[in-house]
Amino acid sequence: MRYGHTEGHTDVCFDGTGSCIVTCGSDGDVRIWENLDDDDPKSINVGEKAYSFALKNGRLITAVSNNTVQIHTFPEGAPDGILTRFTTNANHVIFNSDGTKIAAGSSDFMVKVVEVADSSKQKTFRGHDAPVLSLSFDPRDVYLASASCDGSVRVWKIADRTCTTSWPLLQKCNDVINAKSICRLGWQPGSGKLLAVPVDKVVKLYRRETWDRKLDLSDPFITQPLNVVAWSPCGQYLAAGSVGGNIVVWNVETQECIERMKHEKNYTVCGLAWHPKHRQIAYTDTEGNLGLLENIGDGKKPNDKVASTVTKDYNDLFDGDDDDYLNGDMVEPQSSPKAGADEDDGDDDDLRPTSGHPRRAVIDDDDNSLDIGMIKANLNLEKEDGDDDQTSGFPALPLSSTQQPFYDGPMPTPKQKPFQSGSTPVHLMHRFMVWNSVGIIRCYNDEQDNAIDIEFHDTSVHHATHLPNSLNHTMADLSTEAVLLACESTEELASKLQCIHFSSWDANKEWTVDMPKDEDIEAVCLGQGWAACATSALLVRVFTVGGVQKEIFSLPGPVVSMAGHGEQLIVIYHRGTGFDGDQCLGVQLMELGKKKKQILHGDPLSLTKKSYLVWVGFSAEGTPCYVDSEGTVRMLNRGFGNTWIPVCNTREHCKGKSDHYWVVGIHENPQQLRCIPCKGARFPPTLPRPAVAILSFKLPYCQVATEKGQMEEQYWRSIVFHNHVDYLSKNGYEFDENTKNQAVKEQQELLMKLFALSCKLEREFRCVELADLMTQNVVNLAIKYASRSRKLNLAQQLSEMAVEKASELATAPEDEEEEEDFREHLNAGSSAREWSRPPVRNVQQDQEMEDADETDGCEEAEETPEVPKQRPNPFSKGVTSAEATTPKSVVIASSSQGRVNPFKVTSNKKDPVVPTANVLDTMSKYSKKTSLSGSRAANKQNHLVIKPLTPKPKSKQASAASFFQTRTPNSSEKTAEEREEKAGNEPHEAKVAAQENTENRRPKTGFQMWLEENRANILTDNPDLNEAEIIKEGMSRFRMLSSEERMAWTEKAKGGALNDLTDDKKRKRSAADEDEAKKNQEQNSEDSNLSKKPKPLDQSTNVRLSAFAFKQS
Amino acid sequence: MEPAEAEFLAEKELVTIVPNFSLDRIHLIGGDLGPFNPGLPVEVPVWLAINLKQRQKCRLIPPEWMDVAKLEEIREQERKEDTFTPMPSPYYMELTKLLLNYASDNIPKADEIRTLVKDTWDTRVAKLRLSADSFVRQQEAHAKLDNLTLMEINTTGTFLTQALDHMYKLRTNLQPGESSHSQDF
Repeated sequence: MRYGHTEGHTDVCFDGTGSCIVTCGSDGDVRIWENLDDDDPKSINVGEKAYSFALKNGRLITAVSNNTVQIHTFPEGAPDGILTRFTTNANHVIFNSDGTKIAAGSSDFMVKVVEVADSSKQKTFRGHDAPVLSLSFDPRDVYLASASCDGSVRVWKIADRTCTTSWPLLQKCNDVINAKSICRLGWQPGSGKLLAVPVDKVVKLYRRETWDRKLDLSDPFITQPLNVVAWSPCGQYLAAGSVGGNIVVWNVETQECIERMKHEKNYTVCGLAWHPKHRQIAYTDTEGNLGLLENIGDGKKPNDKVASTVTKDYNDLFDGDDDDYLNGDMVEPQSSPKAGADEDDGDDDDLRPTSGHPRRAVIDDDDNSLDIGMIKANLNLEKEDGDDDQTSGFPALPLSSTQQPFYDGPMPTPKQKPFQSGSTPVHLMHRFMVWNSVGIIRCYNDEQDNAIDIEFHDTSVHHATHLPNSLNHTMADLSTEAVLLACESTEELASKLQCIHFSSWDANKEWTVDMPKDEDIEAVCLGQGWAACATSALLVRVFTVGGVQKEIFSLPGPVVSMAGHGEQLIVIYHRGTGFDGDQCLGVQLMELGKKKKQILHGDPLSLTKKSYLVWVGFSAEGTPCYVDSEGTVRMLNRGFGNTWIPVCNTREHCKGKSDHYWVVGIHENPQQLRCIPCKGARFPPTLPRPAVAILSFKLPYCQVATEKGQMEEQYWRSIVFHNHVDYLSKNGYEFDENTKNQAVKEQQELLMKLFALSCKLEREFRCVELADLMTQNVVNLAIKYASRSRKLNLAQQLSEMAVEKASELATAPEDEEEEEDFREHLNAGSSAREWSRPPVRNVQQDQEMEDADETDGCEEAEETPEVPKQRPNPFSKGVTSAEATTPKSVVIASSSQGRVNPFKVTSNKKDPVVPTANVLDTMSKYSKKTSLSGSRAANKQNHLVIKPLTPKPKSKQASAASFFQTRTPNSSEKTAEEREEKAGNEPHEAKVAAQENTENRRPKTGFQMWLEENRANILTDNPDLNEAEIIKEGMSRFRMLSSEERMAWTEKAKGGALNDLTDDKKRKRSAADEDEAKKNQEQNSEDSNLSKKPKPLDQSTNVRLSAFAFKQS
Repeated sequence: MEPAEAEFLAEKELVTIVPNFSLDRIHLIGGDLGPFNPGLPVEVPVWLAINLKQRQKCRLIPPEWMDVAKLEEIREQERKEDTFTPMPSPYYMELTKLLLNYASDNIPKADEIRTLVKDTWDTRVAKLRLSADSFVRQQEAHAKLDNLTLMEINTTGTFLTQALDHMYKLRTNLQPGESSHSQDF
């Protein structure tokens, strides 16, 4: 059931072939639905309010609120004149069986019969004393039945306008609104032998001519008055809908009830229509909903035991013409089963994915038709079946049970068509080709124009663009580098992939690639520096963004959708055939970067039951996510073996049943699901421009109403949504360490809260379980908490655990620690480099620093006594200083963030999570010891706090950058540097020269070592030289040495230094680095003079150090 | 108070915009604004919205009440009732003027909205005049008017109080004792 119209009276019918459902409602629209899941029905506005309508032979007759009965063409919806007028509105209009006449009954007590071709030929039937409720034409065009509010049901003879008979059946009332039932009556189709009238809770059947009552159809299921009746087109079955929302279907011959259905909201059923071919009933209610009842009488027969016999019974009951009425169950029948099987695939592709409601297509009335779904299901029997059917080919002959005319098992689902994430259906004139986090591509395809509009959310990426769409592109993707467009092949032209690489620095911004013949592009995506397309030949082709063809690989099945982000490519494809409305999809996730690898090897994709995929993509942080048609958003949980975890159900946020959220993007930090709310549809229209809404994520944990459940959910959500940090760091991307630490802090806080809660509830075992998830120092806090709340047993348990943890930590990562140590050197170096910014900046920073230091000081005072000792026994009060310096591993937020709120009072910074200064003290030591190689290596690392997704800059660039930075300093150094530059080809000399200007704090160079050894020689030769002269003399002697010898000395010197740099090329650059390092040192010392405590350095350094400090403890 | 001053106050009202640039949270004395993410709606004061709009840095999302159907309802309600009905925003007139002047391209049916708001305004001001008239006529000492917006008060406020002052003077001068006194002077 779905939303169809605004609330109020509605009416429904199928069009002549049954290819679409047509409804009208109190909003004055007539809507044409392709199927129940059609979110974009064609609407024809016929007036302010439509009371009733009838449809035949391409004419649409409506009774509307301006008291007229008018014609529209169908399905175009163009007005075609007014048939008749009343003094008040008509309540019901109907066609006669051949569509030449209509009858309308109005609230002004009159019934009119009008010829459609000539509206001047009217017959008026007077006699009712109250508004006319309903009408029914005798199929033989002799009689007309009418029901009215005066309580009577009359049968008129059309020819002489006389009332043939009248039954006082209904309750009297004064208006249609007050009528208990609208009493839609009906003649039996075909012969017109019976007239069915819904009276209270029964359907009375009257015989033609004699006008006596043949029988009453009733069912205990019906508890409220019946509103409408409708005959099946074959005249065998009668459906009735009640005021209470019940729909019952009887077999008129046997008088047994074959189907009972209860409206899920118990709204009054006011429209019922049988499908002309299938066993399907469309119904509407007074709240404007449209529903579809399928497979009427399918094994639900209450009195029968075996389903198969039931179907057989029906088989006999239907006459030949209705044969495919039975069979036409799942997919349209074809004239020959073999041809059908061939065509079937094509047809399936055309079907829009519909969960459980496959679209009914037009059916030809061929008697040899066979259910394709059945053929598919009974592949083994196909041949046999087909033969049988063709030979028997005799419509009236009931199929024998041995032939298995029905396949009762699961039915295959039509495979969903490939789609682009964030696009709206292709058939729309104005549609979104893509809406993602970069921008929007719209496509206009109407009479005047066929064009593509590209718009960027951030206009600094690129300006908005308007392109003519001469190639008729249907697929598109958009990234910050390029626009990718693709079109399917036409008869003359091959399928094309077009890329507009707007960020290219050369003049050619566009390239196009033609696919091989008979290969159609079905999905495209863009990553960073590459583009990919999946084709109908089950291939995925990868191109560089500049147009170079790269990898190519086969897919195991037809593609559904794909998406790219950074180096990652995710492809979703059909793994097989799904059954009973489910799709059977597989997913491949691969990395196209340096180390090409596949992460997900065609794993099955978990979808909600009976749903299909509607969106697939990556979060802004690069985690694969997808959304199914039931609104469940799932995300790859890299922290738990690459499983998929549902993170949000958008349907929970929807107000109406047919409202949806159309996802456009997912962000993990901050946690945002960006989507567009769509009222009564699955996707938004292009105009008015939809606004993005933000939904929050919620993992489907149990009992989230309770405090415990809530915190558990928060904890795991925090874990899941920070998996990307580990992924990014592992893959060498840059990311903000700050977020990671905040996350850790948040998680630990939640754990602590949960711990406290469990403590309160006396759940000590649970406490221990929780403590197992905590980090070391939080465990210590927990121990403290336990001991304070007098849970000695618990505290004992925890402390044992703490010891265990500590020992684990101590033993396992011994070597890791060493590595860490080394990295700290590097980081220290990097931070030192950072200080070599222009002095103005430094001053400001210093001020900030002082603030921070103050708070640090306070913080320390507060924190130190609080910090639990890492002793096996928490009750012993011994304090070791090292342990005291291990606060929670957190960060100073202020200095690293670049900009601070100047209006914020400093005291706000007294957040209980600022690290103590001790960490920084150790750091300053390191920075003073910074070695040449250290500083260079640091250059590699010091850009840690850049945007995610910029791959690490190579050391070359970084050092170049630092080279430029060194150009600001004081003059003495500048000269040194200049000299170095001049003497670029004589690195050693330059170095020596540089060294003359500096305190010799760094490791010795080759020359120095040589000089030390040969100083005595020089002195003996020239005893009266002073130091400078000695060096000069030494230099000239050193130069006289052969290059091999000199090299040997250099090598020696390097061996003495920290690093094993042997590469001569690198050596050349060292001069600059050296200089820089030296300057850093100088500034370091200056700084430390200025304020006793060193600055908190680069955020990342800080974090690493604090983490390290903690580890050591 | 001048209309310009009322407008100035109205500029503090928040409206939703969709920026097309990226900017971190900005800290101002009046409070923090942002962060601005391209394509993501954010609430900002009207003055900033207009400024950004003029520089083509954002797209404005009209306030919820700035909708033809809603305003029609308000107008009808206003016409039906004798007293003042509550307005959707205390600065409805100012906001309409500002937003329609600077961002009419982002507001569907801008002209209709302008007319509707003007109609509502006219109705209300007529009511205000009427009540002022009866107030003076009946020589009441005090009256209470609910749901008036600042701008509306300012249309008659100064004039009415001054007029009342004058009338008071005239009335007191009518009394014989006083009049002779003033003649002496």
